[in-house]
Amino acid sequence: MKMMGLTVLAIAEAVALRGGTIESPIQHVLVQMPLLALAGMVGVHELRIRQYWAIPFLLLALTTFLFWMLPRNVDWALTPAGELAKYISLPLLLGLPLRLCWPRLGPILRGFLKANALSMLGVLGFLYTHAPIRICNSYLVSAQQDLGFAFLYLAAALACLWALPVLFGYPRWLPDAAAGCIKCGA
Amino acid sequence: MSIAIEPGAGAPAATAPQAGAIKVTMILSGAVFTLMMVFGLIMRAAQGQWIELDPALFYQILTAHGAGMVGTAALSGAAILWYFSGRHVVLTAGIFWAFLCLFLLGVVLILGAIFIGGFGGAWTFLFPLPALSGGAWEAGAAAAFMLGYVAIGVGFLLYYLELGRQIHARYGSLVRALGWNLILGREDDNPPPPTIVAAAAVTIFNSIGIILGAAVLIASLVHLLVPGFEVNALLAKNLIYFFGHVFINASIYMAVTAVYEILPEYTGRPWKSNRVFALAWNAVLIFVMAVYWHHLLQDVVMPPWMLVVGQLVSYFSGIPLIAVTAFSTFLYVRGSKMTWDLTSSLLVLSVAGWSVGSIPASIDGMISVNKVMHNTMWVPGHFHTYLLLGEVAMAFGFMAWLVRGKTISEMGTLDRAAFGTYLAGAAGFVTVFLFSGAASIPRRWAVHYEEWLTHDRIGTVFSVLVVLATLVFVVRFVTRLGRNED
Repeated sequence: MKMMGLTVLAIAEAVALRGGTIESPIQHVLVQMPLLALAGMVGVHELRIRQYWAIPFLLLALTTFLFWMLPRNVDWALTPAGELAKYISLPLLLGLPLRLCWPRLGPILRGFLKANALSMLGVLGFLYTHAPIRICNSYLVSAQQDLGFAFLYLAAALACLWALPVLFGYPRWLPDAAAGCIKCGA
Repeated sequence: MSIAIEPGAGAPAATAPQAGAIKVTMILSGAVFTLMMVFGLIMRAAQGQWIELDPALFYQILTAHGAGMVGTAALSGAAILWYFSGRHVVLTAGIFWAFLCLFLLGVVLILGAIFIGGFGGAWTFLFPLPALSGGAWEAGAAAAFMLGYVAIGVGFLLYYLELGRQIHARYGSLVRALGWNLILGREDDNPPPPTIVAAAAVTIFNSIGIILGAAVLIASLVHLLVPGFEVNALLAKNLIYFFGHVFINASIYMAVTAVYEILPEYTGRPWKSNRVFALAWNAVLIFVMAVYWHHLLQDVVMPPWMLVVGQLVSYFSGIPLIAVTAFSTFLYVRGSKMTWDLTSSLLVLSVAGWSVGSIPASIDGMISVNKVMHNTMWVPGHFHTYLLLGEVAMAFGFMAWLVRGKTISEMGTLDRAAFGTYLAGAAGFVTVFLFSGAASIPRRWAVHYEEWLTHDRIGTVFSVLVVLATLVFVVRFVTRLGRNED
């Protein structure tokens, strides 16, 4: 019940950000979209799937992720049809399958996905900070550059978040379940 | 004189973790080292005008030689580290095979890009050269070259994820594996052995290098395929040199574990971690990442403080190496009455060569010197010193040890001749490079002036010696693989 409440809260916050997403690509791409994906993750937090579903769910989540990485789809997400697709697909086709498959993935694959996420955030930072054209037609070039730097800051923050427990060990004050949660990257 | 090795004397009990996979890797490494040395010989002979070589083909061979040597140094270093880490942690064999398959896929893509697609933009793929070939190659060839790097990078990422995961599982954290308990004077009932300290450090800095390298590779690929997407050239250069510097240094830092694990069999004195050793490796971890700016000393748009840091760290980065590994090797060997066979000779030579190679590197890391010397033969002189007389000698020493058996005997005539030829050839070869650099002969030129030919021809003669000795080492290794241990 608590998790369902958190799901509703995440979706409500995402909806409340509608106005901000039109003005700022950071609020759109790095706040609202992750909130929608988070809503899907939290909603199925207690569920478990069988091993053979792990890879199909991962592929579904990655495909959805790749779709929403494309700048033209970020533009489309500001239209009524695109907005509807975003509200449905990000929780149900990204957050939900990612959460369900993640504990079933091997540690090497999880590590690879995290490393790849850092690299790709770097690539996006590269492109958005220096592109001589507007990549998203809905936003100003200056806002696009801000988004590029935000990608780089996010990459640095995630690198610290993921690397610190590996470097220094899991904090002893965390309960086992929490340590497991960090280990599985949730 | 010959002696038999008994378990427990010096080194840890000699287990043979995943020896089959490692031997296959070392066969591949030996074969590619030989081929790449032949490429180097061809280039020197062409510069000396002893053979005719189309300049376009020269730059393709230069690219293959650079990428092939860096890749093979890393491959052999990775095999050595994997083998000896397997004495202390349990590693998954499947990951090593996946790493090897991805590496070979990368090699195929790179060779195809060079010799079918005509790519000749050097191993550094420096932005925007791959996209500005002047008609020498198509974008597809440059893309295949970079995809080859991506495949190799993914392979190495899997390798380090497995290594890091198992070290973490065994020691609880990477800082403990880095010897922080030794540094802080805390009690540790299970201190990490030297190999694990090295493995933890390399895992950290090379993973960072690979992740950043992947970012610049993909950004360059996007630019190549969609030229409208510009990349910040200075940022790209920084990332490329961070990745390249860290990657090639990691190959030596991985291979040096052969010295830590094998030499104690000869000296009878186990190589243990202590506070100074741990401090040195933690310093290496920082220095190897902070020193890459010495590759950009001619980029006047770089912030001056970065260049100053590059110069200062160039001085400091030699200290952990020379003060710990080289000095320790000297102490271990001194008075130990060790038997000088091919393995021990090559390993001791490798530490000496690595240390000596750091001196011209530090000199070139000085801003005032670099202004004059950076684009001369001085630079290949310094990196050939610590590769040819350092990493490659470590790899050949490891190969000799793999087929040595349980008995240590003095070198036979052939081994002695091969070792002497290798030492003379490599030392002469790098000395000619350094002299050429001091004479301001530029590097990376396919065609040389008349006045430079003497340098090139002497260098060619020395490189023939290196190739001959290498052939003996590799053939000796392959022919002895099938023998039963005596």
